[in-house]
Amino acid sequence: MTNFLDYLLGGFSNGAVIALMALALVLVWRSTRMINFAQVGQAMFTTYIALTVQQSTGNWLLALVVAMGAGLILGTIVFFLVIRPVKNSDTTGAIIATFGVLIALQAAAGMIWGGDPEGFIPPVSNAGLEFAGRVWPISLYDILVWTVTAALVVGLTLLFTKTSLGLSMRASAFNPEVARLSGVRVNRMLITGWALAGATGAIGGVLIAPVASISPNSFDILLVFAFTAAVIGGLDSLIGAVTFGIGTGLVISLVSGYTDASNAPVVALVLLTVNLLLKPDGVFGHHGARSV
Amino acid sequence: MSNVKNLRTFPGNRLVWHAVIVGIVWLLLLLLNNNIDPLYSSYLALIAMYATAMFGMTILVGLSGQVSLGNGALMAVGGYVFALTSMNWQTVPVFGWQWNAVWSMVFAGLGGILIGGVVGGLAARLKGPYLAGLTLGLAVGVPAIANRFPELLGGENGLMLTVPYPNGGYAAAAVVSPDPAGDLATGAATDPGLDPNAVAGDDQYAELDLSGFDQGDGAGTEIAPGDLISEGDLLTQDDLLTEEDLLGAGDLGTDGADPGVDVGTDLGTDLGADPTTGVDSGLIDGFDSGFIIERWQASMAIAVACLVAFAALNLIRGRQGRVWKAVRDDPIAAAVVGISPSGSKVSAFVISSLFAALAGAVFAQILSFIGPGAFGLGLSLSLLVGIVLGGRASLLGAILGALIIVWLPELVNGLSGGRGWPDQITNNAPNLLYGLLVVAVVLAAPGGITGTIRSWIDKARGKTRSPLS
Repeated sequence: MTNFLDYLLGGFSNGAVIALMALALVLVWRSTRMINFAQVGQAMFTTYIALTVQQSTGNWLLALVVAMGAGLILGTIVFFLVIRPVKNSDTTGAIIATFGVLIALQAAAGMIWGGDPEGFIPPVSNAGLEFAGRVWPISLYDILVWTVTAALVVGLTLLFTKTSLGLSMRASAFNPEVARLSGVRVNRMLITGWALAGATGAIGGVLIAPVASISPNSFDILLVFAFTAAVIGGLDSLIGAVTFGIGTGLVISLVSGYTDASNAPVVALVLLTVNLLLKPDGVFGHHGARSV
Repeated sequence: MSNVKNLRTFPGNRLVWHAVIVGIVWLLLLLLNNNIDPLYSSYLALIAMYATAMFGMTILVGLSGQVSLGNGALMAVGGYVFALTSMNWQTVPVFGWQWNAVWSMVFAGLGGILIGGVVGGLAARLKGPYLAGLTLGLAVGVPAIANRFPELLGGENGLMLTVPYPNGGYAAAAVVSPDPAGDLATGAATDPGLDPNAVAGDDQYAELDLSGFDQGDGAGTEIAPGDLISEGDLLTQDDLLTEEDLLGAGDLGTDGADPGVDVGTDLGTDLGADPTTGVDSGLIDGFDSGFIIERWQASMAIAVACLVAFAALNLIRGRQGRVWKAVRDDPIAAAVVGISPSGSKVSAFVISSLFAALAGAVFAQILSFIGPGAFGLGLSLSLLVGIVLGGRASLLGAILGALIIVWLPELVNGLSGGRGWPDQITNNAPNLLYGLLVVAVVLAAPGGITGTIRSWIDKARGKTRSPLS
């Protein structure tokens, strides 16, 4: 029982980061109806930038803010250079293009920062807290990760539900034609979606970096987990991405704890398969109409 | 409408025409193989192996429109089936035939069909991005399975193959002396590649290190009866191919995991009547009549590639090819005329899986080794990159793609050689080029090399058609 509790608590931080990456995927999906397979590549790149900032200034908060800014810019650049020019009809091409971006970003990061995994010093202690006579698998850093994630989720929810920008974004995601006719600058909303996704992913990258380490392809596995979470959540739903992001983190933590960590990718694959078979539109998603 | 024309230009038995075309190409490749330096033969083997897998990608991605990142994992299936059957059933005669490479290949193919059917059944329910994500999970998850069964599948260190050679000869596994301090270790440190096993998303995902298998000389191998060559002859082959030559040939960034193909291990065979290729060493005059492992590997890889190409050619240019395209372009319209969209998708998956498994079996023989590191996400991505650059919907495009994947890293190394560029630049340059080229091709020339050239020809003739048709 103690083990179970430990594994469960230990999974929350990873789950929070998976949730952020899944959120980024969902934001992109909502704006352009596609999966950005380069999302974790972008996050990796901005995390390297954050690492550089932190190494030169020693300021974690500044590094986080710089990473967010870089994520916004990178998301916008990818949208303008790659996504917008891809013809709408060529969905296969669009998927392949995002993989091209991923490959290029990983190679570029390897060129600039080298391939060796680098550590990222956490701003607060990453050691388990002692409480009620035992050491818990929770550190101050974990609490920081939860706080940042929660703040971001609340912020995004408020943005989408309470502001006119959020309303416009939802409108252009729901029906671009009608939104355009109603005076929404749909194109701007798409850019906003990609930029927001870039920033969200960047935060996730900076948060996970101290727990793991960072190398050009260290986030690949995160892409699989985030995709799993986003798809199970319904791809359209912010709350779904967060719920199942954390859920995926917990399941992986339990499986890794009770069996072996090398099972984690297989577990993600099984989760994804079962979900796609039973409920292809996700738990929080709604069925789309089929068009001819 | 072009299909109607195809039927007209190939009157009568299309099968015969295709057999003639493939036969001529096969013959030319064998001539080439026998007259080039064995070093280039090993590249030829890799190109043929990649082409075999990419023919499957042509059908799956190009014709059927399903983006799959799982074909590297399907290659792993074929490779492992080949390894296990060839290692464990070496001496079992089947229908009077020794359990040799051909039988293991058959089983690898069956394994591919089986897995392809399962994955294809799932895939047929999924649309574009979902499928890409699921197969991405496959690419990451399947190599991890090998780590789960270290006794059977060798875990991270993989299995050394006892490659069955023609005439029932077997090269027993050479003495393995791990060489962690070798050149491979330095390669692993600088190349981030795309190897998912090197993921550090959790501290449990330790960087994969195959610690550079180096078998050095061919000690411990068996000499098959009828072998003409002495060991001394073969050991000279060692100088022809250094590990560095093969490192980085093909596959996006496998440096960290490249088992390091080594020539010296494989002795004790006889080129005599080769059942796989029909090459008779007696015919190769003017050349060292000794057994040269690279030549044998290349002729084997070419044989598989040509047989697969023949099958693919008939499928693509026949009814099934039109069915796949119809479903890709408009599934509902296809269903209206009586085509089952999901059936078509599953069949594309099964065929491409079969090809991938055969390629995996060839890969295992080329490497004389099989391990999860060789079949990671990098391999799947390189297959995708190859067909996109070469031309998504044509077999010629797949061949060009295989050429690009194998030659581009060499080209970059050649260009940067001796200029004192840091390793981290030169090691990553090919991947950066791949990534940028893929984006550029998708945006500017979705048909890849072959599609673009064909559209130029069409333009000159005053015709128009989709670059992906």
